[in-house]
Amino acid sequence: MRRYIVQRILLTIPTLLGVATIIFVLMRVVPGDIVLLRYAGEGAFVTQETIVQERARLGLDQPLWRQFADWIWGAAQLDFGTSMWTGRPIVSEVALRFELSLQLAVMAVIIAALVAVPLGVLSAIKAGTSVDYLIRVFSILGLALPSFWVGIVLILLLLSVFHWSPPVTFTPLRVDLGENLSQLIWPALVVGYRYSAVATRMTRSAMLEVLREDYIRTARSKGLKESVVMVRHALRNALLPVITVFGLEFAFLLGGLVVTEQVFNLNGIGKLTVEAVVRRDYTMVQALVLLMASVFVLVNFLVDMAYAWLDPRIRFR
Amino acid sequence: MSLGSNGKSTRIWSGATAALLAFGLTALGACAQPAPAPAPAAPPTAAAEQPRAGGQLTFIVGAEPPSFDGHRETTFAMLHPTAPHYSLLLKFDQNKYPAIMGDLAETWSVSQDGLTYTFKLRDGIKFHDGAALTAADVKATYDRIVAPPQGVVSSRQASYAAVLEKVEAPDPKTVVFKLKQPSAALLSNLASPWNFIYKAQALAQEARFPEKNILGTGPFRFGEYVPGSHWTGTKNPDYFQKGRPYLDGFRAVFIREASAQVAAVRGGRAQIEFRGFTPPQREDLVKALGKDITVQESPWVCVLVVSMNTEKKPFNDPKFRRALTLALDRWEGSKALSQIAFVKEVGAVMRPGSPFAMPEQELTKLAGFGKDAAAAKAEARRLIQEAGVPEGFSFALTNRDIPMPYEPVAVFLIDQWGKVGLKVSQAVRESSPYLQDLRGGNYEAALDFNCDFMDEPDLQLIKFLPKEKSPINYGRYSDPVLDDLYTKQSLETNPERRKQLVWQFERRALDEMAYQFPTLWWQRIIPHSSQVRGWRITPSHYLNQDLTDVWLAEK
Repeated sequence: MRRYIVQRILLTIPTLLGVATIIFVLMRVVPGDIVLLRYAGEGAFVTQETIVQERARLGLDQPLWRQFADWIWGAAQLDFGTSMWTGRPIVSEVALRFELSLQLAVMAVIIAALVAVPLGVLSAIKAGTSVDYLIRVFSILGLALPSFWVGIVLILLLLSVFHWSPPVTFTPLRVDLGENLSQLIWPALVVGYRYSAVATRMTRSAMLEVLREDYIRTARSKGLKESVVMVRHALRNALLPVITVFGLEFAFLLGGLVVTEQVFNLNGIGKLTVEAVVRRDYTMVQALVLLMASVFVLVNFLVDMAYAWLDPRIRFR
Repeated sequence: MSLGSNGKSTRIWSGATAALLAFGLTALGACAQPAPAPAPAAPPTAAAEQPRAGGQLTFIVGAEPPSFDGHRETTFAMLHPTAPHYSLLLKFDQNKYPAIMGDLAETWSVSQDGLTYTFKLRDGIKFHDGAALTAADVKATYDRIVAPPQGVVSSRQASYAAVLEKVEAPDPKTVVFKLKQPSAALLSNLASPWNFIYKAQALAQEARFPEKNILGTGPFRFGEYVPGSHWTGTKNPDYFQKGRPYLDGFRAVFIREASAQVAAVRGGRAQIEFRGFTPPQREDLVKALGKDITVQESPWVCVLVVSMNTEKKPFNDPKFRRALTLALDRWEGSKALSQIAFVKEVGAVMRPGSPFAMPEQELTKLAGFGKDAAAAKAEARRLIQEAGVPEGFSFALTNRDIPMPYEPVAVFLIDQWGKVGLKVSQAVRESSPYLQDLRGGNYEAALDFNCDFMDEPDLQLIKFLPKEKSPINYGRYSDPVLDDLYTKQSLETNPERRKQLVWQFERRALDEMAYQFPTLWWQRIIPHSSQVRGWRITPSHYLNQDLTDVWLAEK
């Protein structure tokens, strides 16, 4: 087991290096210029000398290999430099937004799990009944309706019915729980619903498969209570693929809630990423992509560990 | 906007999509009624009511400041949160725009030859750190704008460097501006909202100090800035104007998405957004909030301009360019578009209604500005034929990926050009590659824009100067006639004679040569909480943002 863990950790190094190289090259291939956008974006009369001077200040006049070497050396020492747009340290820009994104991802996954697991199990147990159909319609709607659209409708409903809209700035959980939840519960519900739909369908099909297994029949024939059969024997085995889904979704939620963050005006990692891409803020985009890749690697690793915990066969292999 | 769409640098609209939109637009125009008056309450003024002290104003800013330096930045996103912390030498009078009033300057005089401007500063002005402001601070500020030290960017350096010889501070209360040549626009330029007066000592220690620090003499002291979230300011008890500001503080919240901005105003999370909303958003707010919302509107010193790359055929032919402007029925377009987008007025290079605007009688003589649309279109067809351009000639209109008002205006253009036998597609580009293409001449025709802080020919005409002089002349032409007229009008201090020169310039640029031409001028629409008083709309979203006179009425 220890050897396995060490191997996995070592594998992250080439993975992250690959990601860093790809994103560096991609950003340079995409047309656009951060300096032009900043100085000519609103039509100002800015001379070519200013543009050249600013490009030099940002190091954009250096050869690409030099830019890459400087950046990768910094990243290896966990020094991601400063944002080309704001001049502020990237670490502080990201840290500022990470708390909100993390909390939202956790809340959305909890909501998704609380909805998906019971509904998926119920749907499997009651397969072919009206309850099953209702749950399936509910989950298909969750897949079909884009989260941002549900978000807009939800805000309009709050405005029309209660003449109230969620706060527009983030208050950390530790500062004011009520204010914090009154802002984040809505996007968490919207995103949680979307992901519960995927997980509900996954739980249902996994449960249906497991319920046909011999060991379930054996458990029932031993005279175990149905609830014990379901929870200890069926659900525990059915959860393996569901955990994978939750793990990957969680990693995605940390940086991928681009549109939902815009609709609810959340100052999160997704919004920061989009703004950085639009501005061609190379250093910021590179750091964010590397961060997201690291989160994916870490979450995958944790999911594999969870597999081992849930399925002893994996542990002993 | 999704990451996916950002990754795509170009999106070409299919002819079918454009046609469908154009059809909708035409249908809308056909049944166009004058836009319903949006329950407009006249902006209450401090003179009409007793201003009430206290409270915090929350306003929306649609983007974020890249840095805090007014001399460097060019975006309203920097001005709106930072302007309340600073003073200017002069400023525009919000109640009498375009009149100028003193801000730090109490009085001023101009020498007979128009080459020396002397300003006397007010007494008792203090920076937020307690230090007294002197003429040396004003001098250091303008020296930084005109001749920035190494590593400092001064975005408007060119506007001043051509005119200003030097700035002197003979005593702590006197500032003298010596000019190389007379300038009709100097006083207005000294009221530029970008020219925050900085502390000389801070600049001497670190020339880039204002990029990351706030230290002004304005009505509000800096509170906090949380990037991506908000910016706050608190009342400056030592502000030199006694009894001001009325507010205890302000909070600027950064909200990028238009629907989220509207929801914030509607839900009472913010009281105002100073840039502007669209007519449908205005209607939504008026319908939802009734008397709790007040709408202020003004023509805006911003316009979308059709730029043509004169280095490419057939855009190098004035006949073809003239045909393109003739094909546009701006008057009908205005009726339709003003219901869905914040564009409205028909005008030449100078904003309609502004002191230098061409009167309608003269304007309608310019190609594409007349009221007989059928005759203009027939003439356009004739010119296209004369230029040797075949029926059904196709080209791409490069456009920016900002939906409002770029998208509806582009659809209008494509529809109008379709009516004279041209097939135009829309190439929508992200802002950054869009600017790169325009500046690099990698386009055929494009929807460009011109937006300034005041109505001033020196600013609005600069786009038409020879490409060697003007980096924002994306048409890439050089016309010595325009260059000469520009210089003449700039030196002319007699307003009436200057006006004539400006009109001459407009006739040459828009009619004879049709290098570039405006579409419709923007209309600034500000629906705000009726609690907000003492703020009056001006034709620019860059002006009047220091919040000195703003106060909040009781709910």
